[in-house]
Amino acid sequence: MAAATAGGVGVALQAAEVLESILSGSVGPEGRQVLCTKPTGDVLFSRDGGRLLEALNVEHPVARMIVTCVSMNQNVTGDGAKTFIILLCDLLRGLKAFTEKERGSFGGSIPSQERHWKICCQWKYISQAILTFQAHILDYIMTQYLRKHFLSIFSFSGEEKKVCRSSLESLLDAYFCGRVGRNNQKFISQLTCDYFYKCLQHEDGKDEMIDLVDEYFLELCTAVTGLPVSSSKIISGFVIHRDFSVYCPADGDMRIIIVTEPIQPALSSSGSELLINSEAQFQASHIWITEKTKTIMKDLQSKGIKLLLSSVKQQETVIYYAKQNGISVVEYIPSEEISLLCRIISLSPFMPSWATSVCHISDTALVTFCRPILLNSRRYVHLGLLSTHSFIPHCLILCGPVQGLTDQHIRAFHGAFKVLRQVFKVLYLSYKVQRSNQNETSNSINSKENKQSHHLIEVYRALFEKQHLDSFLISKDNPSRTQSHLRDAPDLVLSSMESKNDIPSTTLTQTPKIKEDFESLLCSYPNKIGIVDTKEPLVAISCSCSGDSLTDIPDEHLSVIEQTCKMSRTTIDMKSKEVLQDPSQSYCTSFIQAGSVLPVGGHFEILLHYYLLDYSRQCQKPELQCLEMPNWDASLPGTVYLSFPYLHHLQCFVQ
Amino acid sequence: MSRVKAKTPSLCTCELLTKEIVSKSLSGLREIVASCYGPSGRLKQLHNGVGGSICTTSSSSLLFNNLSVTHPILKILTTSVQNHVSHFSDCGLFTAILCCHLIENFQRLNLSSATVIKVSNHLLSLCTDYLNSETCGCRISVDFSNMKTLHCLVQSILTSKPACLLNKKEADHISTLILKAFLLTIPEKTNDFAILGKSLIIPLKGERVMDSTVLPGIVIEMPEVQLMTFPIKKLPSNALKVALFCISMSGEISDSGEGTLIVTYGVSLENAVVDQLLKLGNQLISDHVDIVVCQKVIHPVLKQYLHQHHIVTIDRVGISLMEPLCEMTGTQPIGSLNFISPTSYGYVKDLCYTNFGSKPYFHLIPNDSTVCSLLLCNRNETSWNELKLTCQTAQHVLKLMIREPLALLGGGCTETHLAFFLSHKVISVPECVLKANDCTQTEYKIVANAFCNALQAVACSLEHDKGKILADRKYGHFWSVQPDFPPNVKWQDLVSKCGCGLCSNKEELNWCLLQSIHSASQNSPLQQPTNSLKDHLTLDCFTAKLHGLQVAVETASLILDLSYVIEDKN
Repeated sequence: MAAATAGGVGVALQAAEVLESILSGSVGPEGRQVLCTKPTGDVLFSRDGGRLLEALNVEHPVARMIVTCVSMNQNVTGDGAKTFIILLCDLLRGLKAFTEKERGSFGGSIPSQERHWKICCQWKYISQAILTFQAHILDYIMTQYLRKHFLSIFSFSGEEKKVCRSSLESLLDAYFCGRVGRNNQKFISQLTCDYFYKCLQHEDGKDEMIDLVDEYFLELCTAVTGLPVSSSKIISGFVIHRDFSVYCPADGDMRIIIVTEPIQPALSSSGSELLINSEAQFQASHIWITEKTKTIMKDLQSKGIKLLLSSVKQQETVIYYAKQNGISVVEYIPSEEISLLCRIISLSPFMPSWATSVCHISDTALVTFCRPILLNSRRYVHLGLLSTHSFIPHCLILCGPVQGLTDQHIRAFHGAFKVLRQVFKVLYLSYKVQRSNQNETSNSINSKENKQSHHLIEVYRALFEKQHLDSFLISKDNPSRTQSHLRDAPDLVLSSMESKNDIPSTTLTQTPKIKEDFESLLCSYPNKIGIVDTKEPLVAISCSCSGDSLTDIPDEHLSVIEQTCKMSRTTIDMKSKEVLQDPSQSYCTSFIQAGSVLPVGGHFEILLHYYLLDYSRQCQKPELQCLEMPNWDASLPGTVYLSFPYLHHLQCFVQ
Repeated sequence: MSRVKAKTPSLCTCELLTKEIVSKSLSGLREIVASCYGPSGRLKQLHNGVGGSICTTSSSSLLFNNLSVTHPILKILTTSVQNHVSHFSDCGLFTAILCCHLIENFQRLNLSSATVIKVSNHLLSLCTDYLNSETCGCRISVDFSNMKTLHCLVQSILTSKPACLLNKKEADHISTLILKAFLLTIPEKTNDFAILGKSLIIPLKGERVMDSTVLPGIVIEMPEVQLMTFPIKKLPSNALKVALFCISMSGEISDSGEGTLIVTYGVSLENAVVDQLLKLGNQLISDHVDIVVCQKVIHPVLKQYLHQHHIVTIDRVGISLMEPLCEMTGTQPIGSLNFISPTSYGYVKDLCYTNFGSKPYFHLIPNDSTVCSLLLCNRNETSWNELKLTCQTAQHVLKLMIREPLALLGGGCTETHLAFFLSHKVISVPECVLKANDCTQTEYKIVANAFCNALQAVACSLEHDKGKILADRKYGHFWSVQPDFPPNVKWQDLVSKCGCGLCSNKEELNWCLLQSIHSASQNSPLQQPTNSLKDHLTLDCFTAKLHGLQVAVETASLILDLSYVIEDKN
């Protein structure tokens, strides 16, 4: 049993590490494409983490669960699959190291029964700690510390809040850097940006527009193989992926209707019986059917209908009379396209009624043009739709030499809109600010550079007391537990620092300091919690920054990252002030503002790491040490946020 | 449930992408396609292990359709070439050879794939910008008022496919026919946008090539059983009335809906339908229809009845002929057996029965229409297939020409010219370009060199007889010398004109061997040949070649960017 539990994290880590090693090749701007072949002979290119994981068909149950979690997460966020795996791996790795260390402290003399029980307790504790960490600390750090580093995608000009095009461009650039081949990144990103602005009616409708595009993306784009990627374009209107059954050229605005069932009445309807007594009767009923169809089509013409869109096959008679009356017909339209059309032009399908002599046409709509368009050596129907209040209909034509590539671009494009949807959404966090006094909050934020305000100390204290109580409760049952836990904590800091820094001198100079800090913290709790040396964190961040760079990436990128950090620094100063002065700062539930973005290149991870370290020094929370990971992916706060609940679930499972 | 099987895990491997395996399989494919290239290309005979038809070809579309490759990289390459061909019909071999050479050359470099991809992307943009610019020295604009250029273009396409088995005179004849058919499809009166008509290719296998001809209107093969001739009474207007049906007239009972039909004893539905058909026949007779054409089958009773009234019936024409028939006769396809609106009839000028070869045909002669039939003859099945494919390519290229009336110099001259252009361009690379592509001057030059070499290698694969390949530094054109020239003659005297036929060997041209220009880079910019158009130029379609170039570079980048393969074996 003990082995099984011990295997729990080990196995999970093993599975996650395998996945990590598979994905590591395609992370970041230097990542490369992966080719997926299918037994049918199809080939597919991908740099999309979620797609690759799905293609793997993993067998191991834990790995399969991880893959499911990743895909679910990516379905919402559109990005972050690779980040997810890397984060998960490092968390598991940290936990493993931590528990092994602790297990060593149990000693070999304890009977196995007791040992097992201890291990179970330990896992229970860790699981709860992670939950608490996710719900309170991480969200707290996110709102209180990282907030000041958030840039906004909006530009504020007076009262108006507008999406800043250059910010949007750089956001998309960063996103596509990790998703498509590097010779097309710029082009595709530009195309996405253009598409966004072309479809956008006005700023307020952008959420609705993005939702619509996201939901019906596959209908809105057409893949064309055999042309170079640079031939991709945006066309106005909507492309129905079917050909005309009847095409009658017409100029100007046209009235259209949509039908979802055959116009021609059937000889017998389902569930009924038709008794034929004579040949003449049979002929007469046929003639009646034709007559009826003729009148309906005539009627449609008299109402000025020029185009009939049908989701089903219509009888030849209908086609014939449509042609006679100058009505163009498109048949077999997929139901998704019909529902998108209905939504854009707010039109309900027409129901032919055969009982009355004049049929009642409930709903018609106008289109500006309707003509054939040749794509992919096939003729499709190109409709000029009038724009709704939020969406100006535009279609995407994505070209590529092979289908695998166009698929990749479609998926990346779709993901980009999911990302945009996340960006423009306010993200509510589970952490609650305990006091909503506006003045105090803003004061605390303004004084952040020097020391924590009283208010924040209170929060810390509350958290710390709670946690202390927890560990105390455990220690009642198991006296050695707290002791070992406390003793282990500083060592763990040391080990994690060592593992992450290749420069031993830095580590050596720093660890005693941390140790001191910890000890003093422990001795003088709770009086010293609020006191933080302002110099030390700065050392910590620069050290962790260089340490990461050394272990994980070649030197040449170091400068790039530093530059990004610097650049973002300067912009933060400008932007964060705007954010801070925003009167909407008084809140009860904490949230991340809509449009918040962070610079890429691991900046987010480094910042988070720094604040966690800083925080852990104050609160003594060793698990936090595990959460340090270098990563050069596009990082949106939402992405990481959403991944944490899954991390927690995973932990529960591991128990 | 026994058929439900758990999915096996995929295999994640980078073994297939090692340089050795890739270059081995790529060079295999390259040798196959390169040996097909050009007028003196070698033919390939394709047949499978279990028998079936044998096809002799040197065209990329047939070759790749029948070639089953296993290596995923080759699959990507062939698919992308096939996709290109489905759009442009032309330049498939060019794309394939260039792509192979690019990948092989780039793999040999010891540079990171990121650099190679970025730089080659930039080089491609240099090429496309140059080709699209007015100053481009290797393209000529096509003048539609003068058929000479178009004729050259069509002839170049025909001669580049030796499997058609045409001699010079035959090639000339066929290219004239293709041009004639093309001109017939252009409508005389046009409003805002013109819709091109159709030229149908009618197979006449086993006849002499010189018997091929172009006829206005539509030629439909007559089934033997219908072989009966009777005089057709003519309308006073000297035209024949045509009714075109798109529904079946075979007397079947049409769809009765989802419910059930209960038929009383003694009532025959078949009779009812045939009765109805005969009523329809009566209406056709009273409307003075002369020809009834049906997409599907006409019931023999109705056929007989119509024949008795001297109405010609043509059935089973198929969906592909429906559109040209509508266009030519001006009919609306009738979709009802009960009522026929008088407006849905159309007219033809005349109907003839003619024999081509040994088979009887109906020939519908239109009054004034953009539909024509190209009766294509060739000696045997496989050469006819190749000829048909080539004709379709030529027709497609002519259509592309309307959209973009430009042609590129063929015969290897465009490739050499571009290579010279690039090697001159990269002598001094602006700092901003290097910065944007994140590479050094040397790296850029190395990649550019590999790119130029690939372009030249494409030109060199036109030569299959071990001849000497030269290029001139003045215009950057391609020249080839026969391999077995007598020793007492200077080879400079043997060449008379370049690959495309634009330049002649009259001036000082500063020759060099083609494969070695990278060592001595091009110092002076290329000049434009000043002389006027010659009679016999070898030309390529501009649109097809430009896209081919782009697709080749993009596919090469895609393949070079791969890091490993996930194989799904379910």
